[in-house]
Amino acid sequence: MKIITCYKLVPEEQDINIAKDLTLDLSKAAKKINTFDLNAIESAIEFKKLTDVEQITALSVGDKSLENVKLRKDILSRGPDDLLTVVDESFNQLQPHASAQILSAAAKQAGFDLIICGDGSSDLYAQQVGLLMGSMLNVPTINAVSKIIAATQQTITVERALDEVVEVLEIPLPAVISVSADINDPAIPSMKAILGAAKKPAKQLSLTDLEVGELATPVTPISVMAPKQMDRKQIIIDGDDEEQITIFADYLRKSFN
Amino acid sequence: MQKLSNIWLFSDLANRLPELVNAANTLAEKVSVFVLGDQQQVDQALALGVNQVHYLGEQPTTRITEDYAETIAHTLQQNEAPLVLLPATKRGKTLAAKLAIKLNAGVVNDVNHIDIEQGIKAAHMTYGGMAISEEQINSNTAILTLSNGAFPAAQPTAVIGEVVNVDYIAPAVAITCIERRAKQASSVDLNKAKRVIGIGSGIGSKENLVVAAEVASMINAELGCSRPIAETEKWMDRERYIGVSGVMLKPEIYFALGISGQIQHMVGVNSAQTIFAVNRDKNAPIFQQVDYGLIGDINKVLPALINALKA
Repeated sequence: MKIITCYKLVPEEQDINIAKDLTLDLSKAAKKINTFDLNAIESAIEFKKLTDVEQITALSVGDKSLENVKLRKDILSRGPDDLLTVVDESFNQLQPHASAQILSAAAKQAGFDLIICGDGSSDLYAQQVGLLMGSMLNVPTINAVSKIIAATQQTITVERALDEVVEVLEIPLPAVISVSADINDPAIPSMKAILGAAKKPAKQLSLTDLEVGELATPVTPISVMAPKQMDRKQIIIDGDDEEQITIFADYLRKSFN
Repeated sequence: MQKLSNIWLFSDLANRLPELVNAANTLAEKVSVFVLGDQQQVDQALALGVNQVHYLGEQPTTRITEDYAETIAHTLQQNEAPLVLLPATKRGKTLAAKLAIKLNAGVVNDVNHIDIEQGIKAAHMTYGGMAISEEQINSNTAILTLSNGAFPAAQPTAVIGEVVNVDYIAPAVAITCIERRAKQASSVDLNKAKRVIGIGSGIGSKENLVVAAEVASMINAELGCSRPIAETEKWMDRERYIGVSGVMLKPEIYFALGISGQIQHMVGVNSAQTIFAVNRDKNAPIFQQVDYGLIGDINKVLPALINALKA
C-alpha cells in the first residue's frame, strides 16, 4: 500500500503579534509543521502495524519556506520514506481550494492508496483541504477520524468521534481521510531518525510539472484583523493585605449579581 | 436590505436547525430545508415556518449522512441556490466540501457573521482565534457552516411549508457505517461555563491548585488553565486550556490566577463580561486587560480570599 500524508508549514502561533492597527504581525513568527499534520504523519507510521505499507510519502505545497533544510529534515525524521513538495513563490497564501487542486494533482501523479491529512491548519483553520482533495479525486473522504482500527489492502476501518456519537466506518480504498488531533501523540524523533532524514529522497515540483489547470478562487480573503478589545475598568489594587483582599473579594461578590 | 431569493439548509443535528432557520429568515425571501429522519423531524422543520421541506427519507443505519451529498447537490443544481447553510459540525463540514466540488461553490467554515450587501461575505476565526478573517465568496453558490450559537434560534411559528420527497442518489463509492454508539460526554464543557477560573504558571505549586479548586467551588466556577499548565506542567487536562488552539470562552466572569496575560491566552477570554486577576508582577500584561486586578502573592491571597468569601 502507498500512503501519502499531507502537511503544511504555518507560522509559530506563540510568536504572532497584534499590531496597533489590529492586523497580525507575522514577521517574528518562524514557520513550523502544522501540529495537526504531525498527527496525520504519525497515523501513517502507525499504519504499518495494520497492513503492508510499501511507501509513505510526505506531501506539501507552499512557498520557498518548504526548501528550508531543517524543516525538511524535521518532516522526514518523523518516519516518511520520501518527500514531495510543490513550490512556487506565489504560494505563500494559498487558499484551501487551490491547495487541494495542487495536492490532488501531485497525489494523482505519484499514485496512492490512502491519503492522510490533519483536520485543519492552525493558521487559516479552514478544515477543508483533505475533504476537497477526496472530492476532487472522486474517492471516499471523511474527517474527524479518531482511530484507525483495521486495514487490508482494499479497506480501512476507522472510528470517527462526532459531537454526540462515535461512528465505526468501513472505507473502501483509495480514500482520503482527515484525522483529529486526539488520534495519537506524535513521537519525538530519535537522534538516529534525525540523522537518517538527510539521506531520504526529496523531490520538488513546480506547477508546470503537474496537470492542475487553472487554480480556482471560489473564496477570496478580504481582511484578517484581531478582534477589538473590550473596554475594561482596570481597577487595580496594589497589595495583598487582608483589607485589600477583602476589597477585591467584595468586587468579586458584587459581580455575581 | 436586498434579500436573497432562496436559502437552503441542512442540519445533521436536529437541535441546530432553529439557528440555521433564524439566520436564513434574516437573509432570504424563501427558506428550503433538507430533512433526513422521521416524520417528527419533518414536522419540527415545518413548525419553524420554513417554505419547503425537501424530505430525504429515513436514514438506513449503514449509510452515513455525508453520502447524501449527491442527492442534495442534485436538488440544488435544479433550483436557484445562492446560499447553503449547514451547522459547523464535523458532518456539516464534510458535506460542505463535498457539495463545493459538485457545485463549483466556495466554502467558509465556522462562520459567525454573514453579510449579503455586496455579494456574500462571511467572517470566521483564524490563527487560533487571534484574528477574524472576512472572506468574499465569488461562486454562484456560497456554502457556509455556522458556528454553534453564533446566531439565535428561530422560535416555532405557523406552519406554511410544503413537503417535497427527494429520491436518494448513491455516491460512486459509499462508506459503510458498521456501528454507531453514544459518546461519553466530555467531563468539562468550559465554553458553556458562566464563571471560569484560569490557572497560569504564577500559581506556583500543585498544592495551590487544590486551593484554587476550593475557590472555584465556592463561586461555582469551572477551572481552566494556560497552555504551559496543561502541556508543560501537565497539571491539568488539555481540554481545559484556554486560548489559541485551546478553548474559547464567553463567561460572565473570568478570574485569572497567576496568568501573565499573553495575547495567545487572552484571545480565549476577551469575550468575558468581567475579568478579575491576581498576579504578583505589577508589570504583567494581564493588568491592562482586567476589570479588577490585585497585585499580590498567590500563596497569601488564596487563603485570605477563601476567608473573605466565607464572610
